[in-house]
Amino acid sequence: MSEITIATKELTKNFGNFTAVDGVNLEIPKGQLFGLLGPNGAGKTTLVRMLCTLLEPSEGTAEIAGYDIVKDASEVRKRIGVVSDGVSLYQDLTIEENLKLFSTLYDLPNSMAEDRMQNLLEMFNFKEKSKRLVGKLSSGWIKKAMIIAALIHDPKILFLDEVTSGLDPQSALALREFTRKLCDEGVTVIWTTHYMTEPEIICDKVGIIFEGRLIQIGTPKELRSNVSKQSVLEIETPNLAKSTLKKIEEVGNICKVTYDDPILKTSCIDEGDKQIEESVTKILLDSGARITAINTKEPTLEEAFISLTGGEEEIDRFMEKAHQKE
Amino acid sequence: MTMSSLKHFSNVFAVMSNEFRILRRNRSAILISLVVIPFFFTASLGAGRGGEGETYSVTAELPIAFIDKDLSEASGRLYETLVRSEDFNMLIQGYREEDALAILGKGGIYAAIVVPEGFEQRLSNNETGIIVLHVDDGSPGVDDAVISNVEASLEIFNPNPRMKQTDNVEFVGVEIVIKGASFSGFAVGLTITLTMVVVFATFYEIAGGMSRERETGTYAHLLVSPVSLGSIMIGKTLYDVCLNIMRTFIVLGLAVYVYGASIHANLLSLVLSVLFIAILTMGFGFLVSSFGVGVRAVVIIEFFLILFLFAFSGFFIDKELLRGISQTIATVLPWSYGIDVLKRTILIGQPLMSLTYQLQIITISIILFYGVAYLLLRLSRERLVK
Repeated sequence: MSEITIATKELTKNFGNFTAVDGVNLEIPKGQLFGLLGPNGAGKTTLVRMLCTLLEPSEGTAEIAGYDIVKDASEVRKRIGVVSDGVSLYQDLTIEENLKLFSTLYDLPNSMAEDRMQNLLEMFNFKEKSKRLVGKLSSGWIKKAMIIAALIHDPKILFLDEVTSGLDPQSALALREFTRKLCDEGVTVIWTTHYMTEPEIICDKVGIIFEGRLIQIGTPKELRSNVSKQSVLEIETPNLAKSTLKKIEEVGNICKVTYDDPILKTSCIDEGDKQIEESVTKILLDSGARITAINTKEPTLEEAFISLTGGEEEIDRFMEKAHQKE
Repeated sequence: MTMSSLKHFSNVFAVMSNEFRILRRNRSAILISLVVIPFFFTASLGAGRGGEGETYSVTAELPIAFIDKDLSEASGRLYETLVRSEDFNMLIQGYREEDALAILGKGGIYAAIVVPEGFEQRLSNNETGIIVLHVDDGSPGVDDAVISNVEASLEIFNPNPRMKQTDNVEFVGVEIVIKGASFSGFAVGLTITLTMVVVFATFYEIAGGMSRERETGTYAHLLVSPVSLGSIMIGKTLYDVCLNIMRTFIVLGLAVYVYGASIHANLLSLVLSVLFIAILTMGFGFLVSSFGVGVRAVVIIEFFLILFLFAFSGFFIDKELLRGISQTIATVLPWSYGIDVLKRTILIGQPLMSLTYQLQIITISIILFYGVAYLLLRLSRERLVK
């Protein structure tokens, strides 16, 4: 069994009467890229802030690299790197000056700090901009600078909180690739995001967090298949008669039928998939309809997320609540 | 032309109305501009200096030694004249001159009036009588008040009523020989300038700096790194100590070389005196920042701190001259003691080691401010993260 780097037990954070994180249990092994997926206000950042010792849990415990986040907070801090919106660099210093400051705080020997700084600056194409004030950089470059600063002490665990928001697509892609490489080298990464597609692309495992509760953990594929038993049958068939559409709606195990000429979409219960496809095709052919294409679509992580969190209405209700709280 | 004037007038009116509209929506602006500032200044000045119609003299309650070496009828009448004037209700007799001078300015007495031997004899010989007035250079405001009130009493002083009746002896008058108060005008201003510069800059650097770090997220970055809160506080303190040393030299340089201030202190004592005030202010800055206030709030608090110092600390009016509640506030305000130390260092070169009482109070206040700030910053860590 691989070494567990992050472990939480019933981790809870209350702000007055409001529970931001509610009894989270997690085990993340070394080198895993763990995605924390949830809408704004779901509790992702609060969870990350507890794990990186900025907030103390109200209940429960958590260990990072074997150290308790409350009792051994300073040991935890030596081993983590954090990139988050509320954690910034000094705007009036250059990136080099910022890196020198933080390498001193992390007690890196001068020569090692210098080597590591030069490597990171080179890796992120930052050499030319290294003497520029952070405040004068664009938001994308500031984000990169933050990542370099978080990596200066070679952390074993990296928290990347909404790290791609504000980045251009190329930079986001480069960052995802770089993070993947870090994990391959043994760094454990927690990647929080509200972009549904991101975890699907890069994460080994994804935890879906909603209203402070971690409602499901699994690989993106597991989440898709476990959560949503529905698949969508998409048939291209122009000029479909209303009577034919009615017959299709009466087929068993079909949840929803929509027709937007020429696309006929039927959401089906998984088990009856093949049977439904045959039944629908037969109805179409019998009624003389012309079929030009048939596709079966797997649900996306976004659909799985919506299904897990109780549907779009539930998310809307939650978002409204989150805005009111703000 | 008329239309244009009307338009201009209408614009002026629109701008003015808009200002009032904004003010109406900004309760803190209303509170500060219409309530706090006028009430605070009037009330503090009233409390400090007394109201119209009150028979109040600033020197009335100050203990002042009266040393009569002549022990004559004339010197006795001088004592009575001073007491009857109601400017000197605490005129103390019985001191020896050297004993009085030893405690002058240390809280026991604030001036010593010495009537030398031969006082009556000189008056009898139609010569000007001479008295010696020792004042405390550490409190120039007190000096001025004592000198002017003694002068006022001498104007109505009659050494012997019989002299006028017989007209045999003409009363020439009494001359006051003032000892002390030999500093230049700017030396007094220098204590005010240094205090103002140090408190104003230091408080903003610490409290404002911490708030800015909190608001921009660099404080959170420090907190997720292995640096301890103690290191952050000490690091910022040392930085500001350096700045204050530089500031002190800049102010002193200007005061001495441009304005010709004469300073009696040795440089080390003076810099240390400034640092006591600076570190005290830093502690207060940390304390304020531990409440998680924003940069704007820091500016408002700084404004009130300076107001408080103006009104209650001996910064502007010597604290011995304050009365009632104002004096009580001055007694508990640790800056009062810092300013006292600075005055005594600059004006009379009093060694720091002889100011242990004031230094003890400042040191205790510094420990208290830093200790409470440290605890609050630790406890409110979560609130202080953006």
